Amino acid sequence: MKKEIAIVGYKCKKCGKLHYPFHDRCLGCKGREFEKVKPQGKAKLLTFTRIYNLPWGFDQRYLTLGVAEFENGIKAMGQIDADEKTPLQMGMFMEPSWEPVRVQSGENVYGLKLTPLSA
Amino acid sequence: MRDVAIIGAGMIPFGRRDEDSLMDMLAYASLKALDDAGLGEKSVDAVYVGNMGGGIIQHQTSIASSLVDRLNLLPAAAETVENGPASGGSAVKNGLLAVASGYYDYVLVVGGEKMREVTGWRATDFVATMTHPQAEYPYGITLPGMAGMFTRLYMEKYGVTREHLLAVSLKNQEMGALNPYAHVEMTLDREGIFDSPHAVVNNPMAADPLHLYDMCPVSDGAAAIVLCPLEMAKKLAKPPILIAGFGQATDTHTLQERADPTDLKAVTLAAQKAFEMAKLKPSDIQVAELHDAFTILEIAESEHAGFFKKGEGGKAAAAGKTRFGGQLPINVSGGLKARGHPVGATGVAQVVDLTWQLRHELPKNRQVKNAQNGFSVNFGGFGNNVVAFVLRRVEQ
Repeated sequence: MKKEIAIVGYKCKKCGKLHYPFHDRCLGCKGREFEKVKPQGKAKLLTFTRIYNLPWGFDQRYLTLGVAEFENGIKAMGQIDADEKTPLQMGMFMEPSWEPVRVQSGENVYGLKLTPLSA
Repeated sequence: MRDVAIIGAGMIPFGRRDEDSLMDMLAYASLKALDDAGLGEKSVDAVYVGNMGGGIIQHQTSIASSLVDRLNLLPAAAETVENGPASGGSAVKNGLLAVASGYYDYVLVVGGEKMREVTGWRATDFVATMTHPQAEYPYGITLPGMAGMFTRLYMEKYGVTREHLLAVSLKNQEMGALNPYAHVEMTLDREGIFDSPHAVVNNPMAADPLHLYDMCPVSDGAAAIVLCPLEMAKKLAKPPILIAGFGQATDTHTLQERADPTDLKAVTLAAQKAFEMAKLKPSDIQVAELHDAFTILEIAESEHAGFFKKGEGGKAAAAGKTRFGGQLPINVSGGLKARGHPVGATGVAQVVDLTWQLRHELPKNRQVKNAQNGFSVNFGGFGNNVVAFVLRRVEQ
């Protein structure tokens, strides 16, 4: 079975607040019933960093990470597919895709990859 | 509730301590605090140990049980407290509440961590285990990475500059060089790390926009205090240091779920509760120890705790207001930046440093003149669990 970090938004049925990741009680009204919402459209880059001291499990020189907001309001962290020469800035749009983000026990784990579209 | 005082304080030098095990360090710091309290052969009623990584790094659990056995504090009650990098602060809080409630009279609180026995690769991963297990950790995010993303937002919103971060870095390294307990006893030269060709090599990017010298080191170390009711402490020779106030607050696990990710609500709430309990204001504080795991955090915490308005903390640091001898000396110990950050030890070490300040026991080059009130922030996760204390010197 494919290992995947599923990004699913949880919209509170009582007050409409959108959550990701999951909470058992709504952060707005403490409601306990949610409608699952899939991320939609392009994603706007809210912030980002490039780290050079990587954790165990990542055998590469650097890793670029960011938090982006999808068109339907879901905000999520993902890896950014950009080398050191690619200019990045907050507010730019990114194309989301689900690709391997790390290897665990010899298997690829799929998660959110963000590819810069434009400034 | 009874008033609770610190009657003993001890610390061992932070750094790379290859010769000592985690238990060695906890025992050494504990003995120093017990001796400082002058308890002699008398035991304590309870022991709280702040530690984050014993189970992961040392493959050792039930650390507090091992410590009471090693120190022959048997049959004292013993518990290990784990709250990420705020484990030390949480252990102090547990000790405080235990004495305040009237259940225990004498309590030992010790915090310790041994992080240098694994590679940097492993240590970075260990610290990252506090990030969200599905939404953050699998992507390879690290705490420096979280700080990098936070810094970018803070710079954008409040105009914090690299000059401001540099001021914190230079200040804390300068103070750390005077502290025999500091991990990094080395001053930094502005030119060497900021505005020269050498800076590119000496101070490389670590977590954009943060550079190497914006980060605290990975350290081994331990610190301890002994608590008892204030009324009993007044009979002792040393001035009792009252834990006049404490506050603890939490926030969402991920930054992205905060309405404003630059708003460290848990710091604000913890500080407000601590000041309210102490019946003091930020302007009553003469010395503060803030959790500067990254230079940006000292600036942000100084604002969220109420010492400076939002957007003014960086300017205050650059203007020298937070230096030793300034308006509010922050991290006279060198802070996490120079004293080091053995994660479970930090919250206790901050309280130990403030205790020494308020007892007026430090050498002239680090003693804040006539300090009466001190304040600390121990920052867990990325601001999702914060513990703050207000300490006050009690004249006998």
